[in-house]
Amino acid sequence: MIRYVGSRLLTSVVMVLLSTLVIFLIANTVPGDPALVAMGDMAASDPAQVKAFRAEYGLDLPLWEQYGLFLQRLVHGDLGISISSRRPVLDDIVDYAPATLELATIAFILSIVVGLPLGVLAAVRRDSWIDHVARAVSLIGVSAPTFWLAFIMLAIFYGQLDWAPGPGRLDPVSFPPDRITGLLLIDTALQGDWATFHDAAAHLVLPSIVLAMATLGLVTRTTRAAMLEALSQDYVRVARAKGLRRRVIVNGHALPNALLPVVTLGGLAYANLLAGAVMTETVFSWPGLGRYTFRSAVTVDFPAIMAITAIVAAVFVLVNLAVDLSYAMLDPRVTKR
Amino acid sequence: MADETDAACQAAAPGDWDRRSVLALGVGSLLATVLQGARPAAAQSAQRRATLVIGLDISDATGLDPVRVYQYSNPLPTHAAYDCVVTFASGDAVNLKPALATKWEYQPDGKTVRLTLRDGVKFASGKPVTAEDVRFTFARQLAIKDQPWQYISHVEDVKAVDPHTVDIVLKDPTLPLMTIIASPPFGITEKALVEAHGGTDAADAKEKDKATEWLNQNSAGSGPYRLVGWQRNQQIQMVKNPHYWQGPPGYERVLIRHMSESAAQLLAIQRGDVDVAFNLIPEQIATLKDDPNIHVVGMTSLDFVYMAVAAAPSNPALQNKYARQAIGYAIDYDGIINNLAGGKATRPVTFLPVGVNGSTAELTKEIGFKEDLAKSKELLAKAGLPNGFKFQLAYGNASIAGVGYQTLAQKIQADLARVGIQAELAPMDQVNMRTMYLGGKAEAVLTFWNPPAPENWLWSSATINRVAKRVHWDVPAEVRQLVADAAAERDLGKSAELYKKYQAAMVDAANHFVLIQPIYQVAIRKNVEGLELTANGWMAELGKAKPA
Repeated sequence: MIRYVGSRLLTSVVMVLLSTLVIFLIANTVPGDPALVAMGDMAASDPAQVKAFRAEYGLDLPLWEQYGLFLQRLVHGDLGISISSRRPVLDDIVDYAPATLELATIAFILSIVVGLPLGVLAAVRRDSWIDHVARAVSLIGVSAPTFWLAFIMLAIFYGQLDWAPGPGRLDPVSFPPDRITGLLLIDTALQGDWATFHDAAAHLVLPSIVLAMATLGLVTRTTRAAMLEALSQDYVRVARAKGLRRRVIVNGHALPNALLPVVTLGGLAYANLLAGAVMTETVFSWPGLGRYTFRSAVTVDFPAIMAITAIVAAVFVLVNLAVDLSYAMLDPRVTKR
Repeated sequence: MADETDAACQAAAPGDWDRRSVLALGVGSLLATVLQGARPAAAQSAQRRATLVIGLDISDATGLDPVRVYQYSNPLPTHAAYDCVVTFASGDAVNLKPALATKWEYQPDGKTVRLTLRDGVKFASGKPVTAEDVRFTFARQLAIKDQPWQYISHVEDVKAVDPHTVDIVLKDPTLPLMTIIASPPFGITEKALVEAHGGTDAADAKEKDKATEWLNQNSAGSGPYRLVGWQRNQQIQMVKNPHYWQGPPGYERVLIRHMSESAAQLLAIQRGDVDVAFNLIPEQIATLKDDPNIHVVGMTSLDFVYMAVAAAPSNPALQNKYARQAIGYAIDYDGIINNLAGGKATRPVTFLPVGVNGSTAELTKEIGFKEDLAKSKELLAKAGLPNGFKFQLAYGNASIAGVGYQTLAQKIQADLARVGIQAELAPMDQVNMRTMYLGGKAEAVLTFWNPPAPENWLWSSATINRVAKRVHWDVPAEVRQLVADAAAERDLGKSAELYKKYQAAMVDAANHFVLIQPIYQVAIRKNVEGLELTANGWMAELGKAKPA
């Protein structure tokens, strides 16, 4: 087991490095010049200033040297200085990550808490109305564009019905809590500021539902398919023949076996939620990593792009690792193979 | 097989289903609890009434330290937090008004401007504004050399003569100064406070000054509001400056909320969660017409969208001045303004926006390009290209005041086709386009210009220097002289005359066709009064706003 984990960790590091290399090469083939984007019109036209700017960010070095420098810094935990915000990328990420983390986690919990039972129920009562509901939910979730869904939700529940609060993490006039973790729910709870906690929670409702929809659809479909397969296995028939109660059969025999693919999917879905909240964050004016990533890409902010690549790659690889390890626990055969 | 399983399982279902429905009910009621009272009559509360909430896209802002303010959105809070020595009134981009200085005069030596400071002005900290603070502000700016510095790089020295008098000595007295230092990057900072947080005006300030981080979260000025926090991509928070020299401002707090999506801004102003929405597009503005709580105010900006046509080495036709002039006479300018920009725009003669000294919409009718197809064909014949020619028109994937470059390019393509000129459209991403244009590699581009300060020289010198290079314009000596003379002329009337000649020369060169100078539409809730919009670079005078 330890050797298994060790070898997996090693490949993980290689994977992360490879993905940063790929993104580095792709980013460098873009014809745009980050210096010209970041500088004002006057400065950008002064060759001396452009040269100084390029030197400041190491953009004048040969490509391999730039990448080498990135790796060297990465090892020391230094992600460089962002060209567009002009401060350490790490500071930017520390600022933006909590908003995304909070949103993605709530969305993830939502998609599991709703998607899993819905999938099981849809499988158990195949072709009943609940199955049709599940199908509709997953169809909408998977196929409706997030951007559209976000606007519709906002227009209906905020614009028309006035049930939900508007964009942003907090009401315009409420003061944000002192920063401890940057996660508003946790920070307000730690400080006992329940009014702001309530405000933050309410602001999370719409965006987390929107963000959860796609994942929710996938979780429901996968759970349903896996459950159907498990329910048709011989051991279920044996269990029934022994006269076990249905609940025991579903929860004790079929579900654990159906969970494997769901766990894989769930892990990747969580990583995806963390990395892919751009649209939701845009519509809901959510100050998160998604928007930061988008802006970094648009402004060809190399240090930020590289840092985010490294982090996202690391998150995916780690989640994958965690999933595989949980496999090993759920199904001991995995390590023996 | 599966059906059999289903049937068997369903037999035992009821108890199970009940649990699920209880769960569903639980989730539902949890949601209801979370949302319940989540909108605590926010719009009516006293705290809300004492707060001015502004919806604005602030994603471009990289800093709030005045010496580093050069983007589009950050001048608004910077102007609210800092006073400059002089200023411009809303709606007037020509005549300077006193602010921290009551008097400014060129001294007999011709290169020194003497400022007399206003009595009794205090910073938000309660300390008086002195000549030493003014000197420190400029010295720090000159030493740090961040982007706004370039506009005053012709300043040689700044001296505090006595507590009420400051001398600014120029290296080159023919270049303008006062109009430039009326803009937010030149807001006067409190020396003691900036120094206490690591600021310095020493020669090595570029490396040694550490105050920016603090100044991104706090301000050290004498403006109506004081900065108390900036959460990037989230909000900028300001509170009232009780010592403000023009009397206490109307609100306890000002919040600038980052809202990158105009549709979200629209919902928020309709619901009353924001009081002012800056980034609405024309279709959204149209939906507000009948809203009894909101009025829409137009503000003629000093920004403009233009088409630059280069005498490109790759295209012999474009090297011919008459061929470029033919382009200028084949464009349906009124159609662009009325149909694409919904009539919410004007158009200057050339690279000097309507509203600055010597540029008016009337002058455009007099000496600017206008749609005249016969003349365009005549010019084509004169260029030896009676059947027209081809050129490539590059543009980014963006839009200004609701008009997308794509739509604009298609309109121009159709217009030019009427005289046989073929514009090949080359859409690309904004960064790519800018790189190409700044490198002088583009035949023609659609792009945007917004000024750091309402000073004609900032436009005119650009057109004969850096912008001239981009369009391969070999600027004649007399045009260079004209630009220099106009900048050096301190009499507004005489300089306006010189700028008229400059504009005529620009039309003749036919490298720039200004298409749209937007009249931005800003939605303001009627519970706010006195909020003056301005085109002079900081969007609005927040200090004058108060609850209705």
